Amino acid sequence: MDKKKLMILASLLLFLVVLVIIYVNLGGTAGPERPQFISSAQDESQSEEPKEPLTIILFFPSEHDSLLHREERDIIPESSLAQQAKIIILELLSGSQQGFLSPIPPETRLRELYITREGVAYVDFSREIMDKHLSGSSAEMSTIYSIVNSLSYNIKPIKKVFILIDGGEKKTLGGHIDLTSPFQPIYDIVAK
Amino acid sequence: MYKFRRGIPKWTAVFSALFLFLSISSAPQNQSILIISEQDYEKYSRVTIQSDRPLSSSVEKSDAFVFVKIRANSPFRIQRESFRSRFIKSLGWSQGSGSYTLTINTENENFSIDSFKIQNPPRLIIDIYPNRGQIPPTSETDRIRTSSQTLDPECIVIDPGHGGLEIGARGKFGTLEKDLTLAIGMKLAEIARQTRASNVVLTRDGDVDVSLEDRSAIANNNKATVFISIHVNGSYRKGAAGPETYFLSKDATDEEARRLAFLENNSETLENNIQAEDEDLIKMILWDMAQTAYLKQSSQLAEDIQDELNLLWGTRNRGIKQAPFKVLTGVACPAVLVEVAFLSNPQEERKLLTEEYQRKIAQAIYQGLAKFLRDNSR
Ligand SMILES: [Zn+2]
Repeated sequence: MDKKKLMILASLLLFLVVLVIIYVNLGGTAGPERPQFISSAQDESQSEEPKEPLTIILFFPSEHDSLLHREERDIIPESSLAQQAKIIILELLSGSQQGFLSPIPPETRLRELYITREGVAYVDFSREIMDKHLSGSSAEMSTIYSIVNSLSYNIKPIKKVFILIDGGEKKTLGGHIDLTSPFQPIYDIVAK
Repeated sequence: MYKFRRGIPKWTAVFSALFLFLSISSAPQNQSILIISEQDYEKYSRVTIQSDRPLSSSVEKSDAFVFVKIRANSPFRIQRESFRSRFIKSLGWSQGSGSYTLTINTENENFSIDSFKIQNPPRLIIDIYPNRGQIPPTSETDRIRTSSQTLDPECIVIDPGHGGLEIGARGKFGTLEKDLTLAIGMKLAEIARQTRASNVVLTRDGDVDVSLEDRSAIANNNKATVFISIHVNGSYRKGAAGPETYFLSKDATDEEARRLAFLENNSETLENNIQAEDEDLIKMILWDMAQTAYLKQSSQLAEDIQDELNLLWGTRNRGIKQAPFKVLTGVACPAVLVEVAFLSNPQEERKLLTEEYQRKIAQAIYQGLAKFLRDNSR
């Protein structure tokens, strides 16, 4: 009896291992996050050498026109896409270093960020992004598309961005732009 | 307003609120006023003289002139609005003993006039019909009545943005977007009611909260012909200026279309397994994407309105814009959102506080709307 139980357990374990292998391999084509994670984790375990800095591009509104403007910045690469995306949002929250305007109220905190296998990034901000927001359609558009463009441009697997506030879905930031559907980036509002 | 600029911010807020209140409510009771405005229609030009007390008057045609004499026991304050007209060259005022005379100078003497009075507020209206061949003088309202007798009546739904706790944008002098949108929306409704035989519906006519869903529901329940949401813009840029007219962006509707496609593909199973609550959900989803079918017309309406606003503000055409505005998604007719100017721009804020500009903006929006309705008449 014990032997039979052990056999069942062993075959179950084998089955599970096979499942995990299949899952990881499929993930390589369907979900971009996993392979990145694995390879980065391996890098980390292999060496303690400082990593090559990675150049990202952030999008900020400017005083001079109604477009978004590129600002390059070097960051230390992170171990996962979600981690990388978090750094991009934190850099955006810290404001421009080239005198562009800050599209997000400075009191705002990033609560959480995750990326689904379908390429939708869920970015969860503290409620200051709504409560301290300068109201007006143009202000809402700058805020939303500086976030959406900055994420999508730097992390290609992100196809759409869903903005959450205080862990939940909100209708708008200030009565204008619809937050109940995810956003795709718009690059024709970016200065050439 | 200017001198409060460096004062305590609370004071500026109180004063601008007071100023706005005064400018929204009609002219001061103890001071009589005459507001002269002109507008061109397809077959005639209309001069309107509006007052806050009943008018005693006579209208007389002589050659290429029309003389409008208004008797006055006490002086009037005269407010003239600028105009562009195909037929009227100029409007002049003169003050005699106990009367004022308005002289309307036209292109030529070949015209007939029709004048009448309406109340609330008291108005004297002079319609000037240039004689072109044998076109019988018919008023625009008659034309609409006869042409759409069997169809649903035209219904214009005007949506003054924000309201109640939702104040919207706030200007440097403390002006609130919700107050301006109401002032302009009410004026637009007034103009539309005066000039058209259509049902004009406001989504709010006071300082109250109305949800974004309710606003589109009001349009759909009234079988709206057009929906116009009025807003005043706010930007991080101090220099942002000028009007912008939006219609719903395709992205937003693409998303809804995908949801619909999913529902259609799964409708059989859904129908069989449907629960009462789910049925409500599906209705809501279908309602959600109502605007998809009207994007082309909405873009045309946006263009017609933006053209008029560009003329008014002297702005070059920045083009109409598309954005996923929540209030537009569920509207089942041509629908636009007009950002009349920037409240974050102190120069524009100061202009927006004047009743004159509010009226001009309402007039410009109406002109664009009228063109759209003309081009799309059945
Ligand atoms: Zn608004």
